Amino acid sequence: MGRLFLHRPRNTTESLGCETCHGPGQKHVEAGGGKGVGGLITFAKNDKTPVEQRNAMCTTCHSKGPHLFWKGSAHESRDVGCTGCHKVMEEVSPRAQLARATEIETCGTCHLQKRAQQMRSSHMPLREGKMTCTSCHNPHGTVTPSLLKEVSLNNTCYTCHAEKRGPFLWTHPPVSENCANCHDPHGSNHENMLKVAKPRLCQQCHIETRHPTNPYGRDTGSLKFVLGRSCVSCHANIHGSNHPGGFAFTR
Amino acid sequence: MREYRAAWLIVLALCVVDAAHTASAQTQLGGFNVEGDVEAGGRFYIDRPPPKDRAKLEEYRDLTPGPVLFGLNLRLLRPDESLYAEFGGSKWGYSDQDYYLSVGRLGTWQFDFLWDQTPHVISTDARLLATQPERGVFVLPTPRPPLPAHNSAPFIDEIGVRWDKAAMRFNYSVTPNLDLSAEYTRTRKEGDKPMGMAFGSPGNNFYEVLQPIEQTIHDFRVRLAFSDPLYQLQFQYGLSVFENDLTRIRADNPCFGNVAPCSGSDATGPATGQSSLPPSNMAHSLSAAGGVNLPMRTRINGNFAWGLQLQNDAFLPQTINPVLAASTPDLALPRNSLNGNVQTWLIYLSATSRPFDPVTFGLRYRFYDFSDNSDTMTFPGEAVNDRSIDPARRALRFSYQKQNADLDARTRLLDSLALTTGVGWERWDRSDHREVPVSNEYFAKVALDATPTEWLLARVAYTPSFRRINEYNTFAHAEHSVLEDPGAALAGQSVLLRKFDESDRNRQKVEGQLQIGLGDFFTLTPTAAYYWDDYYNSALGLQEATGYTAGIDLTWRPHERVSVSSGYTYEQLFQKMGSRSRPVNGTVPLDAPDFDWISDIQDTVHTVYAGLKAALIPKVLDLRIDMNYSTSLGRVETRNPTAPVSGTAAQNNSAKAQRFPAFEDSLVHLEAALIYHFLKNWSAKAGYMFEMFDNNDWRTNTLNPFVPGVSSIWLGNNLRDYTAHMMGLSVSYHFK
Repeated sequence: MGRLFLHRPRNTTESLGCETCHGPGQKHVEAGGGKGVGGLITFAKNDKTPVEQRNAMCTTCHSKGPHLFWKGSAHESRDVGCTGCHKVMEEVSPRAQLARATEIETCGTCHLQKRAQQMRSSHMPLREGKMTCTSCHNPHGTVTPSLLKEVSLNNTCYTCHAEKRGPFLWTHPPVSENCANCHDPHGSNHENMLKVAKPRLCQQCHIETRHPTNPYGRDTGSLKFVLGRSCVSCHANIHGSNHPGGFAFTR
Repeated sequence: MREYRAAWLIVLALCVVDAAHTASAQTQLGGFNVEGDVEAGGRFYIDRPPPKDRAKLEEYRDLTPGPVLFGLNLRLLRPDESLYAEFGGSKWGYSDQDYYLSVGRLGTWQFDFLWDQTPHVISTDARLLATQPERGVFVLPTPRPPLPAHNSAPFIDEIGVRWDKAAMRFNYSVTPNLDLSAEYTRTRKEGDKPMGMAFGSPGNNFYEVLQPIEQTIHDFRVRLAFSDPLYQLQFQYGLSVFENDLTRIRADNPCFGNVAPCSGSDATGPATGQSSLPPSNMAHSLSAAGGVNLPMRTRINGNFAWGLQLQNDAFLPQTINPVLAASTPDLALPRNSLNGNVQTWLIYLSATSRPFDPVTFGLRYRFYDFSDNSDTMTFPGEAVNDRSIDPARRALRFSYQKQNADLDARTRLLDSLALTTGVGWERWDRSDHREVPVSNEYFAKVALDATPTEWLLARVAYTPSFRRINEYNTFAHAEHSVLEDPGAALAGQSVLLRKFDESDRNRQKVEGQLQIGLGDFFTLTPTAAYYWDDYYNSALGLQEATGYTAGIDLTWRPHERVSVSSGYTYEQLFQKMGSRSRPVNGTVPLDAPDFDWISDIQDTVHTVYAGLKAALIPKVLDLRIDMNYSTSLGRVETRNPTAPVSGTAAQNNSAKAQRFPAFEDSLVHLEAALIYHFLKNWSAKAGYMFEMFDNNDWRTNTLNPFVPGVSSIWLGNNLRDYTAHMMGLSVSYHFK
C-alpha cells in the first residue's frame, strides 16, 4: 500500500505517502524522529491515538464495498481498531494484511469459543483451510445480525447449500425460517453440526401422538427410531420435499 | 495413479519456477521482477489407519502418501509494483488441490481465478447389498435375501461428495471513487450421501441406501460502488442457479415377500419405493445500499434488498406402484409443478451520531419479509409411501416477517471507561398456519469497556431479553392443512407443547473479556460467557437451556527467537426438555400425565491448543509445533416424574424412560516441523503429523446393516477410531 502511494498515487491524498495515514510529519522530523514524537497518528495497540481517530484514517479510503457498514457496526461500536485485526507495516499473513497468520487465529483472539468449536468432530472445513470466517461473515459490518454477509442467515447457508433453498411443495417451517434452529455452523459434537443429539432434537418440537413421543432407549422396539441417523432414516427429506406425497418429508 | 500425476505436476511446477528464476536472475522478464516460492517433497505414513478407519481422517482432505507440491506462489510485478500477476496453488494432483491466478494493476483492476476441490468423505465402512444398475436405482434380488444376508454385503470403499469450486472475479476501479466488480462461482458436487427409503408408516421398515449427488450451483454477482467523502452508494445484482441432474431415487424393499423379522405388513408392502431429490431452483437478488455523513458527526446507512426464489420442477408421480395408482382417482396430480415463488424484502437503516463528546448514539432498524407466493395446492389424496393413501391435504405456504430495532448510547465516562446502554426489540409476524402469529422480544443491554491502564482492556456486557407471544394455537397447522380428517387434529400435537422457536422466553446473557497486553510480546485474553434461557410457559418441549463458556488465549514472545501461543476453552451446554408418550387407542390418544418424561441433555467440551515457533539457530534452524486437543462428553438422562401405569402393559413400557449411554469423542492433532535453511534461498523441512480420533456413539458404534429383531436395514457405517502418524519431507525455494 505504502509503495503504491509513493510510486503511483491516484489522488492528492495518496500522494502524501506516509502522511496519508500518519498525518503531517514535519514536527516529527524536526524533533529528530522516534516513537510517539511529533504528534504523529500511530496505530499500535497501546498507542495514545484514540481508536476512533485511527479508524477514521483507514475509513478515509476504505469506505466502499465490504466496509460500507463499518460505522455503527458491532466492532466499531465497541472501539475495535482496524489495527487490532490488521497489520499494515508488517507481513504476518499471506493475504488481507492480518495481525495473525490466519483468519481463524485473528478472529479467535476474541472469539475463543468459536475458534474452539471448529475443533469439534462435526465441523466445516475451516481447520483444513478450505473455508475461513469471512466465508460467511463480514467483520466490517453488515445489515444482518451476527455480521453475516448475506441478507439473512438462511441465505448465507444457501450460498453453498442451494439444494435446501426450495421453495418446496412441502415446507418444514423452522427450516425456512432459520437453519440455526437445528444446526450450529461453528461446530458440534453431534453429527451434521446438530445442536442436540437425535432423536431429542426432533422431539423438542414433535409431541404428536404415536411414535415421535416415546422416550426410546436400547430395547429392540426403539432401535429403528434411534440407531444410525435416527428420525431422518425415514424423514430423509427433512429440509423440504417436492414429492406430492412428501408432507411428512419421507419422500 | 494419483501419486504419478502429482509427481508430474510437481516436475512441471519446478520447471516453471526454474524458468522464472533463471529469467529473473538474468534480467527482468519483459520489464517485470519475478519472485515467488515453491515447496515440494513427499509424505509417507509411519502408521496409516486401515481404509475402513479413514473416514474422519480424510473427511475434507486427501492424505494419500506420495510426492506432494505443498505450495507454489509465483509473482511477476513491475518494479513500482503497479502491474502484477500471481499464480500458484497446492496439492496438485490430489483431490483437495487448489490453484489460483491473479492479474492486476494495483488500485485499478484485478482479475482472479480460483480452483478449489474439497472432498466431503462421510463413510469408508458402509455395506450395501443392493446393486445400482443406474444412478439412484437400488436393486435387490427377487426373492429377497433373508435380512441377515445384508451383514455380508460388500463394503463400499467410500461414501462422500467432492466439491469442485471454480471462481472468477473482476474488480475495476473506473475512477478512484467508482468501483465495478463481477464475480462468477461454479460449484459442482458429485458423489453420494446416505439416504433412507421408507416403505410404510412408522410401523414399517426402511432401507438406507445412497442419495446420488450430481449437483451444480452457479452464482453470479455484479456490483457497482461509488464513494465520495460525504456519501457512498452501492448497487448489486445476484443470480444463483441450482441444478440437480437427478430427480429421484428408487430402492427395492428388502422385506418384500420376506420372512421374520419382517412383519406381514412389511412383507406385503411395496416391492420398490421412490423418493424425490432436491429440485432445481434459482434465486435473483437486487440491492441498493448507501451511507451518508451528516453534520454533528452523524452517519446514516441504508440498504434495500429484494430477492426472488423460484422453483418449478415437474412433480414425480404420486406412486410407482401401479396397483395403488390405479386404485383411486385421488392420486391424480392437481398440477404438474409447484410454480414456487418466494419474494424477500430487506430494509435496513442505521444511524450513528456523536453530536457532542463523549456520547455516541446508535439506532438501527431492520425489516425482513419472506413471502411465499407459491401456489397453494390441495391434493385429494397422497401416497405417503408406495403402500397406502392418506386423506386430502393442502400444501401450505409459510410466510413471515421479522423486524428488529435497537437504540443505544455509548458514553465515555472517563478516558479509560466507556458505558453502553441500550434497548432492543424483535418482532415476528408469521402466517396463521403456524402456532404463534405474533411474538415480540424486548432486549436491554449494558456494556462496560475499561482500559484502566495501557496494558489492560476489560469488557463486560449483560443482555437480558424477554420474548412474549400473543397466542399459541396448537392446531394451526392441522386446521389449515388437513382436509376431511377430523381425527387428525385430535391425534396432532399436544396442547401442552410450546415449540422453542416460538414460545415465551426469558433470556439472561452475560459476557466478559479481559485483554492483558504488554507491548507486542505478551497478550493474555481470558473470556467467559453465560446464558440462561427460561421457557417458563412450556409444560412440554424445551423448558430450559443454559450455557457456560470460559477460555483463555495466550500469545507470548519471551525471546526474539521464540513465540508461544496457547489457549483453553471449556464449554458446558445444558438443555432440559419435557415430553409425553402419547399412544393411540383406536383413534383416541391416551393423554396421561403419568406418561410424561423429562430429558436432561448436557454436552461438555474441553479444547486446548498450543503452538511454538522458535529459531533454534538464527537463520539456520527453525522449529514449529502446533497442537490441538478437543474432547466432548454428551449425556442424555431421561426420567419419568411418576411411573407410567395408565395404559396397557406395552404402552406403559414404551413410556418408560430408558438409559442413553453417553456420547464421547476426542481428537488430538499435532504437527511439528524442523526447517533447515541450508542456503540463502533454500530450506529443507522435516515434518511430523500425529492425529488420533476416538469416538463412542452407541447409535453407530456396533451398527450392522441388519440388527436382530429389526426389519429395517442400515448402511452400517460408523466413524471409526484411528491413530495416524505421518512424516513429510520437503525442500522449499524462495526467490526475490
